[in-house]
Amino acid sequence: MKFKATLPALLLALSPVAILIALVLSVIYGSKAIPFDSIRDALLNFDPDNVDHQIVRHSRLPRAAGSFLIGAFLAVSGALMQGMTRNYLASPSILGISDGSVFAITLCMIIAPNSSMLAMIIYSLLGSAFSVIVVFGLAASIFSRLSPVSLAILGTVIGTFLSSVSAAMATYFQVSQNISFWYNARLHQLDPDMIKLAIPFAVAGLLIAMLVAKSVTMLSLGEDVSTGLGVKTAAIKLATMASVVLLTGIAVALAGKIGFVGLLVPHIVRMIARVVDYRWIVPLSAAFGGLFLTLCDLGSRFLNYPFEMPVGVVTAIFGVPFFLYLIRTKGGGMRESKS
Amino acid sequence: MKVKARGSFAVLLLVGLGLIAGMIYVSLTNGEFDITVKDIVRTLLRINPNPDYDLVVFEFRLPRIVIAVLVGMGLGIAGAVIQGVTRNGLADPGMLGINAGAGVAIVVFLYFYQGQIREITWFSVMAMPLFGLLGGLMAALMIYLFAWKNGRLEPQRLLLTGLAIASGLSAISLFLTLRMNSQDFEMVAVWTSGSIYNANWKYIVSILPWFAVLIPIIYARSHTLNLLQLDDDSARSVGVQLEKQKGILLLSGIGLVSACVSVAGGIGFIGLIAPHIARRLVGQAHQRSLPICAVVGALLVLAADFIGKTLFSPVELPAGIIVAILGVPSFVFLLHRRKGRA
Repeated sequence: MKFKATLPALLLALSPVAILIALVLSVIYGSKAIPFDSIRDALLNFDPDNVDHQIVRHSRLPRAAGSFLIGAFLAVSGALMQGMTRNYLASPSILGISDGSVFAITLCMIIAPNSSMLAMIIYSLLGSAFSVIVVFGLAASIFSRLSPVSLAILGTVIGTFLSSVSAAMATYFQVSQNISFWYNARLHQLDPDMIKLAIPFAVAGLLIAMLVAKSVTMLSLGEDVSTGLGVKTAAIKLATMASVVLLTGIAVALAGKIGFVGLLVPHIVRMIARVVDYRWIVPLSAAFGGLFLTLCDLGSRFLNYPFEMPVGVVTAIFGVPFFLYLIRTKGGGMRESKS
Repeated sequence: MKVKARGSFAVLLLVGLGLIAGMIYVSLTNGEFDITVKDIVRTLLRINPNPDYDLVVFEFRLPRIVIAVLVGMGLGIAGAVIQGVTRNGLADPGMLGINAGAGVAIVVFLYFYQGQIREITWFSVMAMPLFGLLGGLMAALMIYLFAWKNGRLEPQRLLLTGLAIASGLSAISLFLTLRMNSQDFEMVAVWTSGSIYNANWKYIVSILPWFAVLIPIIYARSHTLNLLQLDDDSARSVGVQLEKQKGILLLSGIGLVSACVSVAGGIGFIGLIAPHIARRLVGQAHQRSLPICAVVGALLVLAADFIGKTLFSPVELPAGIIVAILGVPSFVFLLHRRKGRA
């Protein structure tokens, strides 16, 4: 295992520039192009009567920041899951975790329609925790030897189940319109207040992610190795799961279900930066994930101009071929984690 | 391979048909407003027909029931064929992306006929299953190409490739439907969620030929399907023209699925569960299990449609969602049982 820190460090150092460019592009372009000058004015001396300024402050900026954050959350939680389960297919959407959140939000909208945003976020967190427990619990009881593919199949199937139940409940209690707002990843309706509320949870999730990163690296080498190296496997797994639940739950609460980011980005990071150490993979995934989703979001505005395309369609365009490539090259069996 | 037939085949078939008749009776008499048996019989036998009942029975309830039965039969048989050919008990047309492939092709077709689909012409109705077949074949080919590695088809890789292709194809469908005008979109949205809500006789006529041709072809090959359960070499040694027969069977299976998708959208899991239930009831021999598959499939779709129609009244829930809610626990249960055997 060669360990060269220069390449990942360079990438990490360059990423803020790329992110800044992506964010600026995301603010400029849309169904109405806004010149750079008025963006600067909107930020520095805001004029409430100017329509452009209003758009920038209340629509474009939250959207750009939100899609960056959500991309980062999903990518980090995907990276952690892949490391912990040593499963190259693990990711929030494939393992049905996002569906758990949608399920809980549906329940919440039915039982307590007027609950606050904070309550929504907490329900969403509980939902992702619930599906983590169900998927991993079932996996442990069904498969004696857990291959990556069987876990993925189980997760997808459970996800289908949870989303079908949500759809049925939503129809029955006639809240399906509100639900489809959550379900169909709509980045353009991000609420700035919701983003602010979500930040403490996200910070906690990211902090845990960085703290466990070192141990996850060892877990990714195999449980025997990590136990031999003195890692408290159970505790680390629990902490990692907590971080995954926090990040995924927040992402779903903010923008609904967005597929493929959590699967794709960590692999891209491993390919480009050639690292196996999760202390690099986690921050790089955050940067790349944010960048990826911001750009996908930008693309979604032009695919069907002047209408918007759900960002899930754009992520799927990149995600599906890559997914097929992964299945094909890595096969169905258990693999040692190699980069 | 030692699962013995539990119970007599003829009795089971009769019971199944009886249950279907019962379900049909229930679906005919219950609904937005109840009709008594006497009136149903009168309407069907044309004794003093009442135009109101005529409308409800012939234009709304009967076509829907016929489609539910046909789609259930088709998906059940297609599932058995696909499981038999791939030798994979977890294969299902929906999970393998064949539904999605047929769906995309039909959406493409509707997309290019924008605006003209409101008046349902014979041409468009008859062409939809054909397009579905093209799409289904395309999806099957893609899945085969991607999952085929080192000269063999690994069951799990096959499933996962199917899932990936399915999600990609549904993204394309979504993309196209969003570019349609809102009236067409409405129609496609209802259709893709797996609903037989807007059944009518033209649809039934358009898929009947497929059933009439493909089901006999498949049934005539039940012996081949039995032999395919052996490994390739043994099957070859008893004289099966392996690749050719596999090809014919797969093609017929995909044809059936496409016909079903063209009228009912994506109803999943029927093709997965029906064959398993049938096998448990009458054993492995396809001569007996295929008819039972058809009966079980028809029953499941009828029941799901009935539940979706009445339980949440006045809103209707697509049959596809009900099937998924019932189907997933049984899928997990099947996985559990496989572990016990392995």
